[in-house]
Order: sequence, then structure tokens, then C-alpha cells
Amino acid sequence: MYKLTVSAAPHIHSGASSKRIMLDVILALIPAAAASVYLFGIRAALIIFVCIASCVISEALFNLITHRKQTISDLSAVLTGLLLGLNLSTNVQLLQCVVGSVFAIVVVKCLFGGLGKNFANPAISGRVFMLLAFTSVAGGAMPVVSELVSSATPLEAIHSGAELPTLLQMFLGVRGGSLGETCIAALLLGYIYLVARKVIKWYVPAIFVGSVFLCSLIAEGSFTAALYEIMAGGLFLGAIFMATDYVTTPITNSGKALFALGCGLITFIIRYFCAYPEGVSFSILAMNILTPVLERLTTKKPLGGS
Amino acid sequence: MSLKKRISSLKLPHLKGTSDLHSVAIEPPPEVVLPMNMHSGKPAVPVVAAGDHVLIGQLIAEEGGGNSSPVHATISGTVESADEKAIVIKSDGKMQRDQTIKPPEITDLDSFLSAVRKSGIVGLGGAAFPLWAKLDAVRRGPIKTVLVNGAECEPYITSDNRTLIENSQNVVEGIALLKKYLGSEEFIIGIEKNKPEAIAKMEELFAGDSSVTVKPLDSVYPQGAKQVLLYNATGKVVGEGQRLASLGVIIINVTSLAKMAQFVADGMPLVEKCVTLEGSAVKEPKNLIVPIGTRISYMIEQAGGLSEEPGKIIRGGPMMGKTVDSIDTPVIKATNAVLVMGKKEAEAFEPTPCIHCGRCVAVCPLGLNPTAFSKAMEIEDEDKRLDALNAAKVQLCMECGCCSYVCPAHRPLAETNSKARRFARKANAARKEAGKNV
Repeated sequence: MYKLTVSAAPHIHSGASSKRIMLDVILALIPAAAASVYLFGIRAALIIFVCIASCVISEALFNLITHRKQTISDLSAVLTGLLLGLNLSTNVQLLQCVVGSVFAIVVVKCLFGGLGKNFANPAISGRVFMLLAFTSVAGGAMPVVSELVSSATPLEAIHSGAELPTLLQMFLGVRGGSLGETCIAALLLGYIYLVARKVIKWYVPAIFVGSVFLCSLIAEGSFTAALYEIMAGGLFLGAIFMATDYVTTPITNSGKALFALGCGLITFIIRYFCAYPEGVSFSILAMNILTPVLERLTTKKPLGGS
Repeated sequence: MSLKKRISSLKLPHLKGTSDLHSVAIEPPPEVVLPMNMHSGKPAVPVVAAGDHVLIGQLIAEEGGGNSSPVHATISGTVESADEKAIVIKSDGKMQRDQTIKPPEITDLDSFLSAVRKSGIVGLGGAAFPLWAKLDAVRRGPIKTVLVNGAECEPYITSDNRTLIENSQNVVEGIALLKKYLGSEEFIIGIEKNKPEAIAKMEELFAGDSSVTVKPLDSVYPQGAKQVLLYNATGKVVGEGQRLASLGVIIINVTSLAKMAQFVADGMPLVEKCVTLEGSAVKEPKNLIVPIGTRISYMIEQAGGLSEEPGKIIRGGPMMGKTVDSIDTPVIKATNAVLVMGKKEAEAFEPTPCIHCGRCVAVCPLGLNPTAFSKAMEIEDEDKRLDALNAAKVQLCMECGCCSYVCPAHRPLAETNSKARRFARKANAARKEAGKNV
């Protein structure tokens, strides 16, 4: 007699998988990673490699020590490492990369229960952790991330009136900054790919970048200045790859849109009114915390629900 | 007037290769197995015993009280066994009809409803709710609108399509009967656009009748689900815990309607039906007319056999159908398709953690959040679990399976929803009971 599988409906599936989604995001970051190596040299590749390796190894070790199922094949740790690496500048020390990676994976992700359970974006948390830990230790003399580089980044230049790269240079990434944030052209390639693959909603990065653009336009009164403002800092990198992270952003579509708007406004406020020249990382982290609230606010009344 | 909300849906592969295949009757089976619970509601109760000789159409099990439905012999022969589970009949090879069967005498609503009650017809779209009980709603208030459900939105299945084409006259007569005895004024026949022949046939037959509208619907899943069809065909919404009939509307599957008309014409109860036999392991997919109770194994044999070893057999469609554990399981009243899948399609995926992507929320036709049900089900405290499920409106879920279909983590969302609904229904009833006692 035949042995038949007895299982609950449905019996067919779309074919989508979490691993494939991770792979898509990694693929979408390849142009930016390649551009960073071209722009910043072989050290960029080394930093990215160390971050990825540290993330994967720390997750593997964590699973091993805590007797959990091995999860590194889901590619999530690879993605976190890649994103973290692209968020650092060439001034970072390799050991600092290791520490940041361990923090991102073990503290922010694994200790919260692993993939899907963390409330904050691991790569951004890792970056902010490094930003705070190492600058405070070194009293600002050891710049880890781009916006604190003493040779002015465009953002600082905008605000201090120093000489700026041309708009074309900005678009192509010929300026100071974190590895993966400077080449807007490469980031946009990734954006198009992710939207085409239906991995992200097109409007999330659009609202994030758009709201910063509009606020800057109003504040500066100049179209050109607003263009500089959006192409400076980590705005495109954050908007395309971090504000669209599934785990740490609202599950509802309207919630995702509100999340992006909040990120844009906070970024603008930090850039204009606070001590830090850059606000993308902080804005995304702040909105991560608000995610459950946004979800509650945007839960639709179901059809037939009272 | 607010903007009309669009209902989320899935574009599934249609796989309706049997659409144009005229139904063919199989050779009578050597035996049939007729379960007593082929309908939703109380099981039927056998009125025959082992050794009795029965004829096609003869009553062998009567209603079991409440919403129930009688069962009739579907072949002639000897009753081999009869218990509260099922009646098995061995064929005498003659396929003799019960000669005492004659068309029911119908003069008014009461005689119409009691005739339908004796027909053994249940919702043939899959729900298997006794048809008489559905029509009985007219006693509590007028049924102004009848939605005839010919959407057939699940992949593979084409038996309703064949009904619309091959038994179109019965559809016409079924509508005439409801018009006459239920007093319904408006009839909407909803058919997905992937059935152009059926749409053309219906439009032609009802060309002069202003009370009947043929409504071509987008070929998306789950177009034929109650709430979805109601909304897309009439713009109405049935609220939580509300009966559809309280809106003055009922939805009848097109094959149920045609069977009803056939019964009124010749008095033969529901004994056979059209079943689509499809799936990757089926050598020659077909639409077959089979006596109810025919074993799937016999039906496959009659249709030309299998091309590979089966891994999974489903009664119904691939989205909502249920698997059977044996190839000898019978076709029951509400079986509109039998899908025989190969080993490869039977492989299960290991679920991975939810990554919060929101695809299930975006696809849910009713705008529910399936992850909320899953989260609620993890709550230890049963009282709090119930509150969380009620707040997430678990009872609205129709288990269409769209959430599971799109989930990249392969989480069994629809299965969990089903468990959650069962839990909530029970716990709410218990809570109500406890409230009364205080």
C-alpha cells in the first residue's frame, strides 16, 4: 500500500524563502561593496571580510555554546556583517570591527532569541555601539565612522561652509564617508533590484529620502543644497537597506510608510539641530523602538470586523 | 461614499487543464463506502443493516437531528456493514434504480423545503452545509438576493465549470425554483473569467432575464470564498458572528443548485457527482461522474492509472483541500476534485523563524494579521490567550491558506489559525457558560 503524506492545507507554496530574500539583499549590496573597494582601496575589502567573518563565526559559536540549532546557513549573519562593514570607514581598526560584529550578532540578535526576535537592527546597533564606544575611549581622536573623520565629510562641509565635491562626484561616491554609503549610483542599482524582486516596498526608501529632501529644501531654500543633503551621509544606504529590514520595522504596509517618514524627520532634526552631523543610524534605531506602536496604530479593521 | 476597498488576493497558477474535458461516467464500482459525516453538522443514522439489499436512491441513513442530511444508496447491492461511521455496499453489478422514486410534489415553500431536505444535497463547493438548512433561513426573513457561486477559484478543479456548461438547463431551473418558492428577486451568478465558455453559456441563457446577472470575476484566489464573493459581487460585508442570511443574501454553489433542480425534476437524491481527477501523478486527468462512496483507488484505475507513485492525495483543491491517509478513501458528497500528487510535491518544508516580512498581512483577503494569531497561541495563560485571539478577530479567518502560501519562512500559518479558531470557539463558549452561572 502507498504511504501517503497527511498534512494541513495549503498543499502548494509560492516558492519564496527567507534564505532567498537574504541572498537578494546581499546581491543588491554587491554594487555598493564593489564601489567601496574601488573608491577606498583594498582595505575596504578587508574590513568587509572581517565583519562578515566575525558575524558568521560569532553566531556559529553562540549556537554551539548554547546548544542551539546551527543557523548560519540562513545568510542573515552574512548580511549583517556586510552591512556593518559598509557602514564603517577605512579608519576603523580591524579588532574594532570584530568587537562591533560580536555586539551586533550576539547582543543585539542572538540574546534576543535569534533571527526574527531582535527589536533593533543588528548592523546599525553595531555601528552605533562602535561610534560611542571607541570615540569615548579615544576621546574623539580615533574616528571610527565617517561622520567623525576630521577631514570634512560633505555633511560637515555643508554645515561649515567648506568646499564641497561636485554633485556628480557625490552621485558617484567620490567623497569622504563610510565604505558603502558614498556611491549613490551603486546603491540605486541595489534599490532597483530589491524593488524588482519584490523584497522591499519602493516607497519606504522614497519616503525616507524624500522627507529629508523636502525638509532640507525648506530649511535651506535651495534645490542644490537639498540634493547635497540627501546624497551626503548614510541616507541612501540606511533608507534602502536598513529602514527596509523586515524584522525591525512594522509588519503593516502603512506602518512601513510611517516608519520611513519618522526616520526622515528624525534624521533631519538630528542633522540640523543636534550635536551629531549625521542622524540616519540614530533615526532608524529610534524608529525600531517605535515599531510595535506603529504596528498597533496601523492595524486595519478587518473586513467584517467590528 | 468612501473609496471601495480592494480585497487582497493571490494570483495562483490555474492548472485547469481539464476545463474543456466533457465529464465521463466511470464503470460502476464493485463497492461503495458512505461515511455518515459527509456533511457539516450531526452525522446521519443508518436505517439499513448488514445483509439488506438496496437500490440506487434508496434511503440508507436518515438525518441525525440538528443540521444533518440523509444518505442514499449510490449503487444497487447488498449492505456489507452499517454502523455509526459508515455504510459499505457491495455491488450486485446491476445498478438498479429504486423504482418507487418519483419527482417530489411541490406546491409551496413548505413542500419545497421538505423536498430539498430529503434530497441529501449539501454545499458541494466544499463546505458541505446541508442545503435545506441554508434555504430554511427564508423562514426567519426574506432572501432577496441569491449569489450562485461558480467562481471555482482553486487551481486544478473544473467540475463546477463542467456543471455550468453541461447542466446549464438545471442552473436555469434551479434559479426558477428559488425565485418561485423563496421569493428571491435578484440572482448573481459569479464566474471567474478563466471560464469564458461557462460565462458565455450563462449570458446566453439569461439574456432576457433582468433578475439574473452574470458577473465575470477576476481569476484570483480566493474569489469564491463567502466574504470575498459577497463583497466583490454585491459590495456587502457580513459582520463577525452575523449570518449571511440576515443581509437577505444566500450563496449557493452552482453544482448544488443544479443538483437541486435535477432532484426536483426526477426525485433522484444526490447519489453521484462530477469529480476532477488531476495532479502530477495522474496519467490522464479527467472529469469523472462517479457514484458517491467510490474509492479513490478504483476511480484512478478507471481513469487510466497513475504515472508515478503517489506521495499525497487531496480531496478538494490544493489550497483548502484535505489530505487522505489511504488511496482507498472514498469520494464523498462535497468532493469536487481528487488531486494525486507525486512524491516530490508531497515533501514538507522545515519552518524557519518568522522574519516579520508582512507578506501574510498584505495578502490576507480579510485584512487580518496571521502572525498575531500565532503569537497569541504561544501565550500560556488560556484566558489571556483567548483575549488576544478575540482582539485579533480570529473567528473571521476563513482558512483560505493565502498566508501559508506566501510565507517565506514556510510557517504553517493557516494550520495555526485553524487551531486558534477551534480553541477560541470552545473557550468563548465556556466563558459564556461560566458567565451565566455567576
